[in-house]
Amino acid sequence: MKYSYITPRPKSAFTAEIQLLVTFFSITLGMLFITYFFLLFKDYTFLSDMDELAVVQSELSVNIKEMKEQITFIEKENLLAQKVYTQNTVLKDSIANLFDLVPQRITLSEAKLLENGLVLYGVTPNKDIYNFMLQAPLRSIFHRTYSSFYPAQNGWLRFVSTNYIDEEINLSQEIESEN
Amino acid sequence: MLGKFFESLYLKVFVNVVVKNSTTDVYIELCSSKGVIDNMEDSFNTTKMSEEMLNFITSYTRETPFSYFSFLDMSPSQGAIPTCSKNRLSYYYDVSASEYKCHDKKWTHYTSKSDLYDIERRYKETGVDFVFSPFSILANFFKDKVDSHHAMYILVQEAFVSLAVFDNSELLFAQHLDMEKITESDELLIDTSDDILDLEDGIELEDIDVMGTDDSLDDFSDIEDLDSLDEIDEFSENKDVEEEFYQEEDAELAESEEDGFNEDYQRFSLIQSSMNRFYKDDKFESKFIENVYIADGVGVSNDLKRYLEEEMFLSVYVRHLELGVEVSELAREEVGI
Repeated sequence: MKYSYITPRPKSAFTAEIQLLVTFFSITLGMLFITYFFLLFKDYTFLSDMDELAVVQSELSVNIKEMKEQITFIEKENLLAQKVYTQNTVLKDSIANLFDLVPQRITLSEAKLLENGLVLYGVTPNKDIYNFMLQAPLRSIFHRTYSSFYPAQNGWLRFVSTNYIDEEINLSQEIESEN
Repeated sequence: MLGKFFESLYLKVFVNVVVKNSTTDVYIELCSSKGVIDNMEDSFNTTKMSEEMLNFITSYTRETPFSYFSFLDMSPSQGAIPTCSKNRLSYYYDVSASEYKCHDKKWTHYTSKSDLYDIERRYKETGVDFVFSPFSILANFFKDKVDSHHAMYILVQEAFVSLAVFDNSELLFAQHLDMEKITESDELLIDTSDDILDLEDGIELEDIDVMGTDDSLDDFSDIEDLDSLDEIDEFSENKDVEEEFYQEEDAELAESEEDGFNEDYQRFSLIQSSMNRFYKDDKFESKFIENVYIADGVGVSNDLKRYLEEEMFLSVYVRHLELGVEVSELAREEVGI
């Protein structure tokens, strides 16, 4: 102090009112900043989640595509299985029918199922019985039928009947049947 | 940084209190960083802090934390010493019970510690920031003269007369005179000639023989050369023309205040005795005083000037002074505005 005997009391701009005001604004600003940073964080996590979800979505799309392909494949397999099952059933029926076709007087010793044919080995008392009772139904089933005989020791005839189904004819028949 | 910013938003309020005999003058200045923007003053019929005064002050100070309460020191136990050296202070006055302050590294003003505590206790509701010595007021008010003149400077207050002799800013002598308590030593120094006036019975102007008595001039034995007219002419050359110009402006005001006649004579007596002490006391470096500058804080009558001029052959210049304004100026200087 240049003139005064005493020094002045310290003056502060931070009065109780100002302190209250500053505290209030500090809290308000703090809350605003916290909210702002919270929103920034949430925005960031949302974007990152969105990116992750996009990746997951693309992965799922790929999976869906693969699954669709698998489904298609399975459906095809199913169809194929059904077809095989049907074919087996048909084959089973055909074999059953085949054995039903064989009359009691003719004895089959061997039967070979080929892809497009059937070879039967057996013993028949005579050719007539074979021709009338076995060859006739075989001819109705197969397109080409070949028979050969040779005599057995007991006077009967051993026969070999070779029967084929022509595939082209078979396919055309299937198409016709499908249509 | 933030504090400075907030400080710049607030006005600074300077409350300046000048206690008189029975009244208290409160002068308030509102200042911004650019300077004084408003001022107001009021006088209260009390010498203590009344509720009315407190309301008046707080109506301006409650808006800002930057309010400064300045007081003019009214202690009768104050004065000034023409040195700043702590070793030499006791040569002039025992300052062990005083608070003192060096002014411009040239002279020291002091006051009673107990009176300072009394001020702080009396105004504890508002608090006290500055207490200024009347000698600081005097030196600041006559700054233009003190720095370059050799003269006596007198601050006239209602209850006190503060007197200082400066020679080119060097203090030669100072005394704070209480009008209600004239000490025995002062009374001894006052001229006790037969024609001294009885203040209690009133003063008859006819009784005052200014030039006729030799006794009144006995104390000025070292100015015998005044008998020569030539020397008197030289005195007239030393007159402060600029000051006389200001004085003419105040003349009408002074003439209208004739009721302070008794007080003015009392003041004159005090000044006269004080001058005697200055000339006679070996402690002080005596230099002949030709000019007297009076800072009139109460509105003294023209008689004081006339007494000083006619009885002591001094060239007297009176400047009117508002004590509150001067105290505020010092407070602003202390704060740095």
